[in-house]
Amino acid sequence: MALLDIEQLSVSFDTDEGTFPAVSDLSLTLEEGEVLGIVGESGSGKSVTMLAMMGLLPFNARVEASRFHFAGQDMQTLNDRARRRLTGNDIAMIFQEPSTSLNPSFTIGFQLLEAIKAHEGGSRRQRRERGIELLDQVGIPAPGKRLNDYPHQLSGGMNQRVMIAMAIACNPRLLIADEPTTALDVTIQAQILDLLLRLQQERGMGMILITHDMGVVAGAAKRVAVMYAGQLMETGASHDVFREPAHPYTGALLNALPERHPGTARLPTIPGVVPGINDRPQGCLFHPRCAHARQDCRASRPALKAVHAETGLGTRHVRCYHPLNEEVLEIAP
Amino acid sequence: MLSFVFRKLLMLIPTLLGITLVTFTLVHLIPGDPVAIMAGERGISAERHAQVMAELGLDRPLWEQYLSFLGNLAQGDLGHSLISSNPVLDEFLSLFPATLELGFCAMLLAVSLGIPLGVIAGIKRGSIIDHTVMGTSLTGYSMPIFWWGLLLIIFFSGILGWTPVSGRLSSNYWIETPTGFMLIDTLLSGEPGAFTDALRHLILPTIVLATIPLAVIARMTRSSILEVLGEDYIRTARAKGLSPWRIIAIHALRNAMIPVTTVIGLQIGLLFSGAILTETIFSWPGIGKWLIDAVGRRDYPSLQGGILLIALIVMVVNLIVDLLYGLINPRIRNSR
Ligand SMILES: Nc1ncnc2c1ncn2[C@@H]1O[C@H](COP(=O)(O)OP(=O)(O)OP(=O)(O)O)[C@@H](O)[C@H]1O
Ligand code: SF4
Ligand SMILES: [Mg+2]
Repeated sequence: MALLDIEQLSVSFDTDEGTFPAVSDLSLTLEEGEVLGIVGESGSGKSVTMLAMMGLLPFNARVEASRFHFAGQDMQTLNDRARRRLTGNDIAMIFQEPSTSLNPSFTIGFQLLEAIKAHEGGSRRQRRERGIELLDQVGIPAPGKRLNDYPHQLSGGMNQRVMIAMAIACNPRLLIADEPTTALDVTIQAQILDLLLRLQQERGMGMILITHDMGVVAGAAKRVAVMYAGQLMETGASHDVFREPAHPYTGALLNALPERHPGTARLPTIPGVVPGINDRPQGCLFHPRCAHARQDCRASRPALKAVHAETGLGTRHVRCYHPLNEEVLEIAP
Repeated sequence: MLSFVFRKLLMLIPTLLGITLVTFTLVHLIPGDPVAIMAGERGISAERHAQVMAELGLDRPLWEQYLSFLGNLAQGDLGHSLISSNPVLDEFLSLFPATLELGFCAMLLAVSLGIPLGVIAGIKRGSIIDHTVMGTSLTGYSMPIFWWGLLLIIFFSGILGWTPVSGRLSSNYWIETPTGFMLIDTLLSGEPGAFTDALRHLILPTIVLATIPLAVIARMTRSSILEVLGEDYIRTARAKGLSPWRIIAIHALRNAMIPVTTVIGLQIGLLFSGAILTETIFSWPGIGKWLIDAVGRRDYPSLQGGILLIALIVMVVNLIVDLLYGLINPRIRNSR
């Protein structure tokens, strides 16, 4: 049984300009202990998807799904209270901006220990010891002293370590990391990522890692999902997807990587931007930017189709009428 | 921290000097003079008038009067009232508890009602509660105090007869006033019914004086809560699975209180101007009424001294608010 099983998730926002479908028809599964990478440009709906799973979207969001199971439980039938018992306990999340994600008015210790208190209880002393142990595990020096510090007294990297400690405090089975290193110094990014992956390995947590960095996904995640304008465009084993991208968008993302163009000063970029609320095109959402677009692409929106997967890691899906490397991709029956 | 307080205190001195100059000028700009007013309808001969003015030292050039006022001030002497010839400081101190008691009760009401109302309006944004609270507070804010006070008197004292019309205590009670705070003194006196009587006298003036700060605090709390609820750390708190109650009462409120504290501090300053009107409506024997009387009688020393003391109190209060601000906002505390 999959740890996470979502089918046809859609999220729309009620805005002054009307209803905006931020995510549509998104299905994904995650096995216990598995790492899934999600990539896609800014505005493609990665965070919204994760916040919908956590139940953290603002009140103007409407979330629907034909199936949303976590660890065998139907999340859509849980009441708020039961849902809160899972949140922060079995499912945890860390965010992009560590410095604004911590409350400036309370100490690190207060914020870390209240998570433990909410789900596990225990005596004050036990919680404190556990807090010190957690800070130690995420590589914060002199953890006993740091408990009394306020977030503004620590660096961004240290704050992100605190956020990680908070997220793993109750031994979650699923950890969602939404661009956990984007806001940090380049020198710190690798350290934080290593820490996350090490903790994931040690604890056998399932993890969804959102990032702009294709290289990171290739190294860390066995499976990858590529999102664009609120839809999954391609999913599959990262080995397959990165070696032979099937979706033109994946191809364009990979083509924009510096390591593919050694010695050149200018990298190829994908012209245009992710469509926002008022400029969602007819047909394939990617067609205005797609180098391979043809007549049928403008007429109707392609569905996600299973294609041949080389490695045995689950199925491979592509949402495109004219996939790249068509000759090697034998369309599955 | 101590040096911060010291620096702030030093900065008060030039401000206070400026205030003496402004009040001195304004006070002497009021047409008429105390002697003519004291003589009243009967009038007074020109020679006698000049003689009394000279006795009071009011015939000297203004700059000379100002300098001697400053000279006395430097020795801690605020001068004597032209009317009662009591030291201004003594008069001020004997009346101040009445104003303080009223102001304290009004602020207590404004804060203890304004903050919860603002919070509820904020978290129930767009609901009937929100519209009611915001609509009422806008009305309260724009209500002329004098008219509002009279309205309450007519309704509660006149029609319903629930509350007394004026003063601090009914004349059938005669109690010692060691503290000057009527609620405390009536309790100490042990006189049966005196405390309730004092309380009933206090209700309407408190409501009138609290109206504007209450409205301002409720509105500020609402907008501040709304802003804070959109912050990333609130999302983090929700991601921890904390109860909505805990998220609002602990994570949101603490941060939302930072701007509200500033507003409360400013309202304490404005409270004095509200007290002047409120005390006049309800014949409340406090500083506000005393100042109005002093204007009427051109009692220059009382006006100058009274305004200076009020300015000093307001500034000290704001300094205390500043310090409290650091207490709830660790980022400021550590930068001092
Ligand atoms: N509360 C909201 N109301 C209206 N629209 C929203 C809201 N939150 C997000 N959106 C919209 O949903 C879309 C997807 O946003 P999302 O934050 O999920 O992108 P993302 O893929 O995480 O991008 P990034 O890489 O920049 O984090 C965007 O167009 C955004 O404007
Ligand atoms: S469906 Fe057409 S437009 Fe869309 S990605 Fe495929 S080729 Fe490009
Ligand atoms: Mg995002």
